[in-house]
Amino acid sequence: MSLRRTAATRRNTGLLALAVATVVFILPFLFIFLTAVKTKQEAALLLFTWPEQWQLWQNLVDVVKTRNYMLLLAYFNSTVITAGAVALLVIFGAMVGYVLQRRPSGWNRLIYACVLIGLMVPPAVVPTIWVLQGLNLFKTIHGMILIQVAYGLAFSVLLYRGFISTIPRDLDEAAVIDGAKPWQVFFKVILPLLKPVTVTLVVVQSIAIFNDFTNPLYYLPGKDNVTVQLTLFNFQSQFQSQFNLLFMNILLVTIPPLLVFVFFNRQIVAGMTAGAVKG
Amino acid sequence: MASTSSVILKDICKSYGAVEVIKRVTLSIDPGEFCVFVGPSGCGKSTLLRLISGLEETTSGVIEIGGKDVTDAEPSARGIAMVFQSYALYPHLSVRDNIGFGLSLAKLPKAQIKAKVEAAADALQLTALLDRKPKALSGGQRQRVAIGRAIVRDPKVFLFDEPLSNLDAALRAQMRIELSDLHRKLGATMIYVTHDQVEAMTMADKIVVLNGGRIEQVGSPMELYNAPVSPFVAGFIGSPKMNLYSGLAAGEACGTYGIRPEHLRLTDDTPRWTGRVRHVERLGADTVIYLDVPQLGEMVVRADGDTNPPIGAMQGVSPQQGREFRFA
Repeated sequence: MSLRRTAATRRNTGLLALAVATVVFILPFLFIFLTAVKTKQEAALLLFTWPEQWQLWQNLVDVVKTRNYMLLLAYFNSTVITAGAVALLVIFGAMVGYVLQRRPSGWNRLIYACVLIGLMVPPAVVPTIWVLQGLNLFKTIHGMILIQVAYGLAFSVLLYRGFISTIPRDLDEAAVIDGAKPWQVFFKVILPLLKPVTVTLVVVQSIAIFNDFTNPLYYLPGKDNVTVQLTLFNFQSQFQSQFNLLFMNILLVTIPPLLVFVFFNRQIVAGMTAGAVKG
Repeated sequence: MASTSSVILKDICKSYGAVEVIKRVTLSIDPGEFCVFVGPSGCGKSTLLRLISGLEETTSGVIEIGGKDVTDAEPSARGIAMVFQSYALYPHLSVRDNIGFGLSLAKLPKAQIKAKVEAAADALQLTALLDRKPKALSGGQRQRVAIGRAIVRDPKVFLFDEPLSNLDAALRAQMRIELSDLHRKLGATMIYVTHDQVEAMTMADKIVVLNGGRIEQVGSPMELYNAPVSPFVAGFIGSPKMNLYSGLAAGEACGTYGIRPEHLRLTDDTPRWTGRVRHVERLGADTVIYLDVPQLGEMVVRADGDTNPPIGAMQGVSPQQGREFRFA
């Protein structure tokens, strides 16, 4: 009797959890999708209704063609910024984390303090723009990459440093005895072992950078520098908004991070728990 | 693989800040010798090995390998290979790549690396495991991979840092024999660090007993067993440990008096000492008897396997002639 009741309780709580998850995660997505396929007039009502007329393809073509294929340029820019920034974050984060963890010196405390400051102190926009202008990096893609690296580096250094402390020092020493130069120890032994963290970092940071709205808005003005999140402005204005195209744009912008997440889902979980239990 | 070299240490000192870990160690290891550093934890034996390997820098002194001063040389330039206590296999590489790692760093041709790796794997019975990752190997197999990684580099000197301490007792006994075989086969100089006096006694040509960063005694296993220079060495070599008492209590005119458990015999005919049997360990071939001797304290006696004195009984013992040690 009690066994049966437990099973029933279990099923009911499971159903409840599913229902909550559906409301929180699926419904907004469904709303975006339904609005994205509606006509302009119908979408303007902003109702959660089944579309009377399906305009999926028409809306998609309209969004892509808007302002001389601006979305495609935005995809290109965002991809370059994301790939560049994430690659630098992985390399520099792992290198700094490695040196901080493995080579104790008087400077370590200072470097560590700088890393923590990078994590705690909020960035100031206007002075950053002055600096960028002084370096002739304002309104450039590589300037934007450096900004994203600067914002993300503290976090990745901390993440890598923590993980490197779980890699036995014997491995470094074995490699040194095998004749490895310091950079070979890092690239041939340590970096491959950091894969779980690297995957986590790549996913988390690439989604954050790809979806970043405010930083490109401040630091990367200009028609040619548009990033995907900024293309959302194409369909919103004070007097007229095209909600069907806006939501189609949202849908298109959401797809790449979604794919990354679906593809790397298992590795992310592995990376989050990596080092917790010795394998 | 017959390249073999002497290792000479001259006045080696090593300090970490104000702490002196190695104090003026001078030692000469002959080509082809199997030399074991033995001592309690913290005696500096691992540090000394790391100084020879070049993983640590000496504070002062000279290290020569094969007649060449390598005191300031990089580890890879010293012609040494090292087997770590943790094996230190690269987890992301297969057994084949683990063994060939040093060769590929040295940019040897692929065919040559393959041949060398396979020869080493063959010698260590690892051929069937070449494409596995270290995590799919047992402890003994990992150990052999670590040794294989050392062999392919064709070093002048092998360094072993407590390589058997992570294995279970049966496997350890087997690996002891395999290592001794390997030493005979390669004829290379080997330096082996352990805290286990059984490993030292069974494998070494030369044992170096270290105590507090100093060399206490150097000699062949039987020299150390038969003629220890200090109570420390006497207590460290041999199992069960030698019984050590202050000379005064033992009625001897010396600082410390020692007698090994195997050199005591049970007797009721005018025994030198009489004690109460506190505990008996029957090992089969031997029986180890723990006596409480009033004037001395605990005395351990190793007797024949058939001996089984009742606990609580009084038992007389006498030392064998010529087997007693008297230290200043």
